Amino acid sequence: MPFLEIEHLHKQFGTLNAVADFNLQMHKGEFVSLLGSSGCGKTTALRMIAGFEAPTGGIIRLNGRDVSRVPANRRHIGMVFQSYALFPNMNVADNIGFGLKIKGQPAAAIQAKVHELLALIQLPDKGRSYPYQLSGGQQQRVALARALAIEPQVLLLDEPLSALDAKTRVELRQEIRDIQKKLNMTTIYVTHDQEEAMSLSDRVVVMNKGVIEQIGTPFAIYNYPKTAFTASFVGQLNVLPVTVTDGAAGECRFYDQPLKLKEAFAAANQSTATIALRPEELRLGQQDGHNHLTGIVENNTFLGAIIRLRLRVEQTTLLADLFNERQMVIPRDGETITINFPPHACWILDNQLN
Amino acid sequence: MKFKWAWVWIILGIVYFFLPLVATINFSLKAERGRYSFRAYQIVLQDPQFISSFTLSIQIALLTIVFSLLLIVPTVYWAHLRLPQVRPILEFIAFLPFVLPAVVLVFGLIRIYSGPPFALFNRAWGTNLIMVGAYMALALPYMYRSVDTGLRAIDVRTLTEAAQSLGASWPVILWRVIFPNLRTALLSGAFLTFAIVIGEYTIAAFLGRFTFGPYLALLVRNRAYEPAALSILSFAITWSIMGLIQWLTYRAPGSTQVAAGPR
Ligand SMILES: Nc1ncnc2c1ncn2[C@@H]1O[C@H](COP(=O)(O)OP(=O)(O)OP(=O)(O)O)[C@@H](O)[C@H]1O
Ligand SMILES: [Mg+2]
Repeated sequence: MPFLEIEHLHKQFGTLNAVADFNLQMHKGEFVSLLGSSGCGKTTALRMIAGFEAPTGGIIRLNGRDVSRVPANRRHIGMVFQSYALFPNMNVADNIGFGLKIKGQPAAAIQAKVHELLALIQLPDKGRSYPYQLSGGQQQRVALARALAIEPQVLLLDEPLSALDAKTRVELRQEIRDIQKKLNMTTIYVTHDQEEAMSLSDRVVVMNKGVIEQIGTPFAIYNYPKTAFTASFVGQLNVLPVTVTDGAAGECRFYDQPLKLKEAFAAANQSTATIALRPEELRLGQQDGHNHLTGIVENNTFLGAIIRLRLRVEQTTLLADLFNERQMVIPRDGETITINFPPHACWILDNQLN
Repeated sequence: MKFKWAWVWIILGIVYFFLPLVATINFSLKAERGRYSFRAYQIVLQDPQFISSFTLSIQIALLTIVFSLLLIVPTVYWAHLRLPQVRPILEFIAFLPFVLPAVVLVFGLIRIYSGPPFALFNRAWGTNLIMVGAYMALALPYMYRSVDTGLRAIDVRTLTEAAQSLGASWPVILWRVIFPNLRTALLSGAFLTFAIVIGEYTIAAFLGRFTFGPYLALLVRNRAYEPAALSILSFAITWSIMGLIQWLTYRAPGSTQVAAGPR
């Protein structure tokens, strides 16, 4: 039985459907990210799970019990906010112990728990500091410890790292993941940073305009995106408008350059379609059995491990990420080159990109 | 050159503020002919009327502060949290006492509460109650401003939600999270209220309560040196309270800094 079940969750603000028909099932200890652009309803979904926002419709079941009408302070769900939201009048230890104190736990038990959590977040000597004496990263660790102190059933994090600098962000996200695994904490993590979502999560929920586009492992989301939105939102994507020449054989053409897909697709001959292709699937030169495209290099960017070429092929711009090798000759801007990619690298998008 | 002018202005300012004070102190010490003494202070402090009127004023001031806080803090907090669209209305209401002269207010109160169904003036506690109500109205603009400013300085909504997710009920949130983080704001609001109530004359006089205001007026009419001594005493009290606020604010770590937001 799933630990957290969300069925047909819906939230309407006036005429706006902030979240529509949100369905998700999580098992205990799973780490799921909600990923989507600004305003797509991630925070709203999270706030409904936390109990801060009353759903317009739908059910949230926690451990088999419907909690959608239970007030936030009795849901036993921990929350970490982007702005940390530590209580400024309390020191770190009191912040962490707050949840236990108002539950009426004995002082000794609270102290022990605070001690344990301070060690967990690697701030063992900061118990007496006040929030304003800590850096942003330290404050967010304390906020995490405070949420974990009550041993919540579910931990929710709403863009916890977006106020931090890049280096701290990468360090802290790994730490969050380690702690989450150690405690086997069922966790929902909201972010608009796809790299964050991909690197942390067991599964990713991609959202767009209040609707779930796809739920899947990072691998599945990246390599087998179900919708054009997911495909373009996660990672870089090349899209080519093509004309179908033989759908049953997986054949089409881009202007007069023939292309072959590994899988057959249902489309009438001479109809138009869109195929998608990741930049890292492209290689320089000719190769037997691969698709080929010829275009002009518009520019190249040296990114260290990879070299990103921007090509113009007919009227379309393509990105090609080539692995850096020392003996490689980088094509110059304006040079005409041929690139190749295997038939299994590209797929037909079922709906047009917007 | 600039530097010199700055000093001129500072000295002018000091003279402007302190000369009357020094003159009053000087005068208050001259109750005995030909030498300085604390005679006037002695007389005032030993006057049973001073003690009774001052005590009454302090009691009423404290009641006013407590009831104002109980009324205003939850109201403004709720407006910040859930009804931001109501805030302009609250602000308007909070400023009404400024345009309502105390005389008008007191006559209105007398008309309403002298006869049935609310004949409250028959008893001393009834009159005191009405007085507290009237003072709450007079102090409303100051109290509201202080609380509103205090709430603006903290991230009310997120702090509330953080407390809620940790299991806190509304009274716990108000008492342990909101009130402590408003400490400075509440103290300054309370102090302003205290100052207003202690010095208030019109309402007390018309309601026939012999508080500190009417006492001071009486003294000014009949005596020369004692009112000066009393003014100095009021100054001393006022300044010690201000000092106390400063000290409490300084002592409370975190309350002077707003650490709620990202930095
Ligand atoms: N209280 C509210 N009243 C009216 N509309 C709201 C309210 N809260 C959110 N919305 C709207 O609902 C939509 C979703 O908002 P939400 O905050 O969930 O987005 P988000 O995905 O968290 O975005 P971001 O990445 O910017 O945080 C937005 O269009 C927003 O304007
Ligand atoms: Mg958000």
